[in-house]
Amino acid sequence: MDRPSGDRPVQSSGNVTSQTRIARLKEVVIGRALLSDSFVLYLSVAYFVVLWVFLPRLGSARNLSNLSSNIWPLLVLVIGQMFVLIVGGIDLSQTSIMAITSVCGALMITSGLDPELFAANPLWGVFVGEQGGPAGGSVAAAPVGIAFMLAIGTLIGSANGLAVARLKMPPFMVTLVSMFFFSGLAICITRSENVRNLPDAFLAIGQNYLGRVPTARGSVGLVPYSFFAALALAVAAWFVLARTILGRWLYAVGMNRRAATVSGVPTDRVIVWAYAVSGFCAALGSVLYSSRLGAGRPTLGENVLLDIIGAAVIGGISLFGGKGKVRWAFYGVLFFVLLDSSLYMLNLKFYTVNIVKGVVILVAALLDVLRNRIRLGWAPTGRAVTA
Amino acid sequence: MSEPILQFEHVSKSFFGAMALTDITLAVRPGMVLGLVGENGAGKSTLMNILGGVIASDEGQIRLEGRPYSTGSPAEATRAGIAFIHQELNLFSHLSILDNLFIDGFPRIGRTPLIHRREAVRRAKEALAAVNLSISPRTRVDRLTPGQKQLVEIAKALHGGAQIIIFDEPTTSLTSRETERLFALIERLRREGRTILYISHVLADVLRLADEIAVLRDGKVVRTGPKAEFDINAMIAAMVGRQVDQLHPIRRGKPADKVLMSVAGVTEPGIVKDISFDLHEGEILGLFGLMGSGRTELGRILFGLDPFRSGTIDMCGQPRRRRTARRSIAAGMAFVTEDRREEGLLMEAPVTENMALVALPNCRRNRVPGTLDRLALRRSVDEMIASLKIKCVSPRTAAVKSLSGGNQQKTVIGKWLLGRPMVCILDEPTRGIDVGARYEVYSIINDLADRGNGLLCISSELEELMGICDSLLVMSKGRICGRFRRDEFDKERILAAAFEGHLERGPRGSSGASN
Amino acid sequence: MGSLRQGTLTAVLRNVPILMFAGTFVVFGLLTPRFLEYQSLENIAKQASYIGIIAVGETVVLLTAGIDLSVGSNMYVSAVAAGLLMERFAISPLPALLVCLTVGLLFGLFNAFAVTRLHIIPFVVTLATQFAGRGLGWMLSKSRAVTFPQSVTGLGAAELLGIPAPVVIFAVVVLLAWVVLTRTTLGRQIYAVGHGLEAARKAGVDTRRVQATAYIICGVLASLGGFVSVAQLGNVNSGFGQMVEFQAIAAAVLGGASLFGGIGNVFPGTVLGALLIQMVWAGLVATRTDLYLQPLIAAAIIFLAVLLDSVRNTVLARLGRHNIRVEE
Repeated sequence: MDRPSGDRPVQSSGNVTSQTRIARLKEVVIGRALLSDSFVLYLSVAYFVVLWVFLPRLGSARNLSNLSSNIWPLLVLVIGQMFVLIVGGIDLSQTSIMAITSVCGALMITSGLDPELFAANPLWGVFVGEQGGPAGGSVAAAPVGIAFMLAIGTLIGSANGLAVARLKMPPFMVTLVSMFFFSGLAICITRSENVRNLPDAFLAIGQNYLGRVPTARGSVGLVPYSFFAALALAVAAWFVLARTILGRWLYAVGMNRRAATVSGVPTDRVIVWAYAVSGFCAALGSVLYSSRLGAGRPTLGENVLLDIIGAAVIGGISLFGGKGKVRWAFYGVLFFVLLDSSLYMLNLKFYTVNIVKGVVILVAALLDVLRNRIRLGWAPTGRAVTA
Repeated sequence: MSEPILQFEHVSKSFFGAMALTDITLAVRPGMVLGLVGENGAGKSTLMNILGGVIASDEGQIRLEGRPYSTGSPAEATRAGIAFIHQELNLFSHLSILDNLFIDGFPRIGRTPLIHRREAVRRAKEALAAVNLSISPRTRVDRLTPGQKQLVEIAKALHGGAQIIIFDEPTTSLTSRETERLFALIERLRREGRTILYISHVLADVLRLADEIAVLRDGKVVRTGPKAEFDINAMIAAMVGRQVDQLHPIRRGKPADKVLMSVAGVTEPGIVKDISFDLHEGEILGLFGLMGSGRTELGRILFGLDPFRSGTIDMCGQPRRRRTARRSIAAGMAFVTEDRREEGLLMEAPVTENMALVALPNCRRNRVPGTLDRLALRRSVDEMIASLKIKCVSPRTAAVKSLSGGNQQKTVIGKWLLGRPMVCILDEPTRGIDVGARYEVYSIINDLADRGNGLLCISSELEELMGICDSLLVMSKGRICGRFRRDEFDKERILAAAFEGHLERGPRGSSGASN
Repeated sequence: MGSLRQGTLTAVLRNVPILMFAGTFVVFGLLTPRFLEYQSLENIAKQASYIGIIAVGETVVLLTAGIDLSVGSNMYVSAVAAGLLMERFAISPLPALLVCLTVGLLFGLFNAFAVTRLHIIPFVVTLATQFAGRGLGWMLSKSRAVTFPQSVTGLGAAELLGIPAPVVIFAVVVLLAWVVLTRTTLGRQIYAVGHGLEAARKAGVDTRRVQATAYIICGVLASLGGFVSVAQLGNVNSGFGQMVEFQAIAAAVLGGASLFGGIGNVFPGTVLGALLIQMVWAGLVATRTDLYLQPLIAAAIIFLAVLLDSVRNTVLARLGRHNIRVEE
């Protein structure tokens, strides 16, 4: 069996040969890097640099711009998921919240619907019509639509939270059912049609950039607007987790719900908060994705759930609760998006990408196991040792 | 003199680079009871875990009947005839006694993998009869009393053919009667020629049962010898490495007349009935009762964790309605729970996080709602760590689970004291902590009373309550059956009150399973 | 007569899955009497069989306090492997079935290895194998639909003593699983491991072997379920088996299995759960419910079932608390 490495003190300094000293140095360096909070960041940078050598296109302005516009919406979702994971839950319904808010928001602010496609809609003639939704064509359409979407997302998230906290239903099942329900609802109210004709102000959020960089083939955007949305959210999330009472409570509930209750933590409320934040973030993600897409889509986010959870796991956020930082979420997303786009750039087929993603999630989890082992000094719990 | 059945030879083990056991050499003769005592962290459990195959030693070896024996897994230990009765019983409560007895291998029908159920039931009945337990083997384990569960565990060890049986703190959750039964059983096992390793904090029990006693301190065997060479003081002296003059601090203060908490007629059907008492300023009130007397349940009701049907609980003359833990804390209450791991601590979090938990709402920054005044919080936590003398290398980073039991308990107490309570309910405040730490906990309790707090100490250890309390309530079957002032303390009368209604109760039979 | 009322309450609560099942049955029966005809019931059983087979495997894993999110990808890969071999080499259905089961076995073995040897938590392991498995399937099939010959679809339509073959297979799987879980040492050890891994290890259970067996059983049953489904559908498209893991988990949980391990049973639990889900879909079709509303109603019914289950657990726990000490 492997022996402990890393933190163990050297038994006696007198007879340490240079060879073992080098070996030890290696252990320390590897151990330090492995144990570092920013391990996944180092990994991402290393991956990027190594690949860049072979694939200069990876570092092109166009690709970087592309990369960054892929990172931010996903980061928004992962931050939301993280709040739920911290309290020891899981939110499978984020994708359906994206779908329903995308559809509802778009119906609210669209400036025209095709009667052929939407006349069968139960809302036709009541809220929406040929001239679009209630806020369609209005100057304030974009802010109204966004507020509406965020409100719906928060509401659904709170409902999930109430079911988990008050009705004591298992989070996995609650959010699973909610996933089925709201994605069904999104399809139901649009009859599977995309909602188009959204106001320009709304589209700008997901499609426009601040500043442009000229390249050989036209200019590319520098900083996407979605970056600012994600940045604001990340700062707010960091503040809540690190600087507020609610933040401490979130971690406490995730680590030991009973102890938290006894210590006067309003556990139910804290759990509802976590799910509400997740719902809010899903809605914000929906705003970013919908505006990039230019439509309200009832199947929005269909395939994102695995990316969200994969990125969270790679970032080191524990599925058992009590562990998670905004930084980690960012690192996880960074690595995941980097991996995704680089695999496509390597001209790998989409199925190979899937396989590699699966393997990477496994390796990330394995490294996490390893890190915990080192941290615990290889305490042999759960391992039988044959002498 | 017979050959030793079990020999430890230079056994060593380290965790996290720290030595847990150093060069342990110890021999045990067949058919004797070896009492193993030592403070928490002295290495008793580590040593037994190595013997029981739960963990592996780093160096040294163990000989069983003269032959070298390597500890691979609990399963191998069982095959070698070693059984380990853990402190937290190792039974599957959702499964039947039958399942529990045969979980590592049922009798089978011929060579098929199918369970021979009739044979299994027959053998199970035999095994249960061997420990004088007359219950249907199909009863689910969660319907048994703690004493019955322990007997099941012993039955399991015996039917597995165990020659060496390790008992780790077997009496913690037993009533006195069940303890007596257990001791009679141990006595019988010894007469049958089995070897018993008996670990306990209750030194009087060790002195009564053991033929030989081994004292561990800091991972080393500091003293061994036949029982005749020891008395309790000698054991304590060897355990702590110095002479201990007294177990309890001297109680100087006196309760005032002002009533802090007044409980009147509190009743919850099936749990507690008609509980009434007053807790005064500066008073240490003991609450004694056997397991299942409702003492812990009463604590939870008082603190607002569980509901009650009728009666009133007033704090400082204010009746309390819509009670939750949060409101209770706001009203000036604290509740040190019985189970540190499940309800007391965030085991993965460092000391500082744990301590801050209760006081968080008091450390609000006024300018921005909901935010923490981290500086003030850190200062008060650091002060508390210093004043309670919590020993921890890095209180900001090291998970509290790496601390000793005593320091963990002090962390829990510190957490509550930061909330500046008037009334503290302490449920088994010294459970599973060693002699030295106990004294410190008693001192903290004493100081709190001197500063005018009211304390309600719930405990199953009468000596402890008699040592520190101003007065005592005795509970039995959910009622208060006796009240004693300090000058009326009398062990026999208190015990008699605690046993009221318990005397004519046999073991709950299989009838319990059907309703 | 409080105890009588309490007794009734307990009895009702203990049998929530059966009552849910019966209730749904009666409601749909009242709405459309056609629903109660033998033909429609046979159809429900037939359609429930493949998801039921997979749910049985999922139940075994859930009992060990694990989870298998890869069953959908597993059934896809194994079905594709079998289908391609039949296409290229025109092998007969039986060897194809063996290939299918072998792929499922390998899938289960890999999950088992990662969980028990690499010590990665089951959720992440099976999430990763779900990703990778789907990719592998697409790679094999070039993401086009794989069509199965008549010989296989014939099996799906075959009958044994008047009972459709899928239902027979389902019944056999349930019987075997029931025997293993209740009548063998392994079965009892599966419950013990789910109840507490460390406790089981201390009690001398080879926990790795038990956990590994559970994932292997689940893997094999997933591929078997896939094959049964293929035999009814006749082809495998690139979305085959997607979301099946969630249906299987839902069936197990509706049947009373706990996501935290140690609690649940295959019969009647999981069988009822699988039938309940299928019955809801069939009932919605039979009552001519709006196609778009069907998933909403189905979700609502599942929600109700999960809600009742958690209410049951809360109430039973409270009743248990009151029974700690029988007064007078």
